[in-house]
Amino acid sequence: MDNTVSRRRFLGTIAAVGAGTAATSTAVNAENHPPGWSGTQRVEKIATTCEMCFWRCGVLANVADGKVVRLEGNPDHPLTKGRLCARGNAGTSLLYDPDRLKFPLLRTGKRGEGQFRRISWNEALDFLASRLKAIAVEHGPESVALFPHGLSARFFSTLMKAYGTPNSAEPSFAQCRGPREVGYTLTFGRELGSPEPLDLEESRLIVLIGSHLGENVFTSQITAFATALSRGAKVIAVDPRFSTAASKADWWLPIRPGTDIALLLAWMNVLIAEGLHDQEYITRYAQGFNELATHVREFTPEWAAAITQLPAAQIRDTARAMGAAKPAVVVHPGRHVTWYGDDTQRARAMAILTALLGSWGRKGGIFLPTPIPKGAFDLPPFPDPPRGRADGAGTRYPLASEELGVTNGLVDATVTGKPYPIKAWIVYGQNVLESIPEPQKTLKAIDALDLMVVVDVLPVEQINYADLVLPEATYLERYDSPSIVTTARQPFVSVRFPACDPLYESKPGWWIAKETAKRLGLDAWFPWNTPDEHLATIIAPMDINGEELRARGAVAFPGRPYLDDRAADSESPFPTGSGKIELFSRELENLGADPLPRYTPVEDPPAGYLRLIYGRAPVHSFARTQNNEVLNALMAENEAWLSTRSATDLGLREGDRVVLENTDGVRSLPVRVKVTEGIRQDCAYLVHGFGQRSKGLHRAFKRGASDTGLMTRVKVDPLMGGTGMRVNFVRVVKQTTGI
Amino acid sequence: MARYAMVTDLTKCVACQACTVACNAEWGVPAGYARTRVRSTPISGTFPHLASGVYVAQCNQCDRPPCVEACPSGATSQGANGIVEVDKSLCIGCGFCLDACPYDARYINPVTKKVDKCDFCLARLERGAEPACVTTCTAHAKYFGDLEDRHSDVFKMVYAMGARRMETSRVRVGPNVYYAGEQARADLVMAAFPPRPPRLLAAGEAWSRVLKPLVLAAVGATFVGQAVAFFNQLRNGEKDFED
Repeated sequence: MDNTVSRRRFLGTIAAVGAGTAATSTAVNAENHPPGWSGTQRVEKIATTCEMCFWRCGVLANVADGKVVRLEGNPDHPLTKGRLCARGNAGTSLLYDPDRLKFPLLRTGKRGEGQFRRISWNEALDFLASRLKAIAVEHGPESVALFPHGLSARFFSTLMKAYGTPNSAEPSFAQCRGPREVGYTLTFGRELGSPEPLDLEESRLIVLIGSHLGENVFTSQITAFATALSRGAKVIAVDPRFSTAASKADWWLPIRPGTDIALLLAWMNVLIAEGLHDQEYITRYAQGFNELATHVREFTPEWAAAITQLPAAQIRDTARAMGAAKPAVVVHPGRHVTWYGDDTQRARAMAILTALLGSWGRKGGIFLPTPIPKGAFDLPPFPDPPRGRADGAGTRYPLASEELGVTNGLVDATVTGKPYPIKAWIVYGQNVLESIPEPQKTLKAIDALDLMVVVDVLPVEQINYADLVLPEATYLERYDSPSIVTTARQPFVSVRFPACDPLYESKPGWWIAKETAKRLGLDAWFPWNTPDEHLATIIAPMDINGEELRARGAVAFPGRPYLDDRAADSESPFPTGSGKIELFSRELENLGADPLPRYTPVEDPPAGYLRLIYGRAPVHSFARTQNNEVLNALMAENEAWLSTRSATDLGLREGDRVVLENTDGVRSLPVRVKVTEGIRQDCAYLVHGFGQRSKGLHRAFKRGASDTGLMTRVKVDPLMGGTGMRVNFVRVVKQTTGI
Repeated sequence: MARYAMVTDLTKCVACQACTVACNAEWGVPAGYARTRVRSTPISGTFPHLASGVYVAQCNQCDRPPCVEACPSGATSQGANGIVEVDKSLCIGCGFCLDACPYDARYINPVTKKVDKCDFCLARLERGAEPACVTTCTAHAKYFGDLEDRHSDVFKMVYAMGARRMETSRVRVGPNVYYAGEQARADLVMAAFPPRPPRLLAAGEAWSRVLKPLVLAAVGATFVGQAVAFFNQLRNGEKDFED
């Protein structure tokens, strides 16, 4: 569907309606998504944006008598085009989960006991404001840290900047995408962003390195991946586990974990030695090729074979397949890429491989983002924080994003009081005990706090440690700051509009932030009264009107995704220091780091232990959905994947109950064993997000094992502070008594 | 008349279960039950030479549906378009059809105590919409259409690309759900989830051959008896009950 044309046509419709009668939102709604049927029920259809994960798919909420009876994909959405995954389809079970947080709560017992008193919103926000004022006086505003996530997090970020603290950090950086954004920015001058700008539909070869698409469901990316498969695209899946993607791959490379850089260097060696790289592209756009060629000369497939435990011939064959398919090759940058502490360098290696194949900015490779203008409020300047960031972003971790911050740096600062004490945490839209590794350390940090505030939808474990719990409305009940996506073939804006009124006493994030601001005398940073006013300002320069956006849920703009589209531009498409793709990184050299990626040996599991690896299931998001009635029925708990050989050695059979114990003696909850040939003998695998210890989650409580709980060690990336989380080893202990 | 069919492309399907949940949501299927199910085969082979497949199971709307024969109350019937329907008002929840279905595609709804299963979203079709599972499928792996229409996707996939039915020499009931994709993948699925011969003799078949005529005779006899009584009453007039 050509969204640009249909947008114009739609604008025409608006004009016609406007000329005739008053164009109400209902009239426009009827134009796009007329009332219809859900099952056998008559419903209104409200266009909004999903938040069962963070891909932001288009949703139509089917509403009857103020109740959301069904969610379905929004066919008008430029990216997801009506497709919706299992989690998205199960969203009403979050909305109507009886376990939801219903009222503001003030802690009465000790931290961790879960004893609370129900209070009013007035009391809650007065309490919050008075504590924040007192902390600012006593310790300075910079001693308050924010842990935000999601679209509404922007309101809290504004609040905390106005309050005067620089300390805000999202796990999406140091526990997820940070290393690749840094590695690709060093190389191409721009980060990848989300959704990843991958031209999968047009690709001829897809290289997945530890990315298990399929189990990891981002709707539009799955559609594109499957389309590529049906068009005959080849797939190389590098993964110690036989994932769904590996089962569809032409080459499955069950690599020895942690040795990916060796494989990547060997691939580069073959491409350059055999002249299979895109020399014309490199000559035109890149610098540092000679240094790279010299660097990789010794890294032959035979060298890598000894390290990766993959056959040299397979390494050579796969490199040749890439050379033959270039430039229509997507080397998937991955999503959660904080693995071994050398992750920025691995991302660099992947970026350089992408460059050698000439894929960046080319059809079937990675496309360029197309910005869309965004409106801004005329805000007073934020006060200068009395002290710099406490998490080391920009200092101890020189390449860490100062916008997104380093969560584990904040945890460290809270525990040690260095560089200065952190006295309060405000947690919004995330679960710090599941998203940040070393939860034991996180608890120690929380123990040192004067104030812990959690804004959440469900009573996850962290609320038991909070002084104040603020129940947020779910994504179906609230307006969120618009999502502006520049990294799609066509950039677009979409909005989360409420489909129904908030249940119980829950309140939208924007309201909580704005009301808190009012009490702190920070109104000036919230110069709008309603979501409509907020939206109108953000979209003001976009040449669309709010009614159109409300009717469609999302509006797209023309994109310029390929280098060919930019041929006439005076600016370089590669905004690096040199204006070229930097194969050799002067910036890294200046920091005393490897200017070209180098393999650093990885530790083997001690005798009797297996490396703990973890990943995703298609029906769950992080640790957020395990209590959802429908999704829980599909997958109530995870399984510990063990190789047939490991299981035989341990006398274990499929379905046996075991606990996993790590090298520090920390044990998981009991978990069933899955005995399979589909995993390397030196690994054990868990799907993330299970083994939750909050009694308030009646379905998820103590079901399965938590991988995060077993992460008592991390290896921190010295460049950007990311926590390498695949460095933990576990042994398997058979449970003789069942639960 | 349309001959409806569904094709699932096993190459594209990633077992994400969007179809299962969309169907549950559309038809109010209780959590833990399903009208369409996604199952993965066990991983076969020896490391690192492995294979696995995915199977999407649902009512096949068979040409010769054993469930129709097995149904004692006449609740299950087949329309002219080939879709097998369940009339909930007639269903007595006896479960004979569950035994009869070679694809285990039926369940008894624990709330209504009636049998339920996929009907290709007949109510949606009547409103011009595609089945909910097809609309939502993230991998775009499901296709729905009319096999009588030579231009339909399903026609091309079945007749030109050789999408196959899940049938064995023992179970030939003419399913109208087809599976596209490489032969090896389909073979894996077939080996892991073969259709089961209908269990008709114990339940449905005994019913249809012996009990059904008996019951019909009994119903007929009752009717005749009622009619005789009625006419008698007409002729003789109503008598008061004596205390």
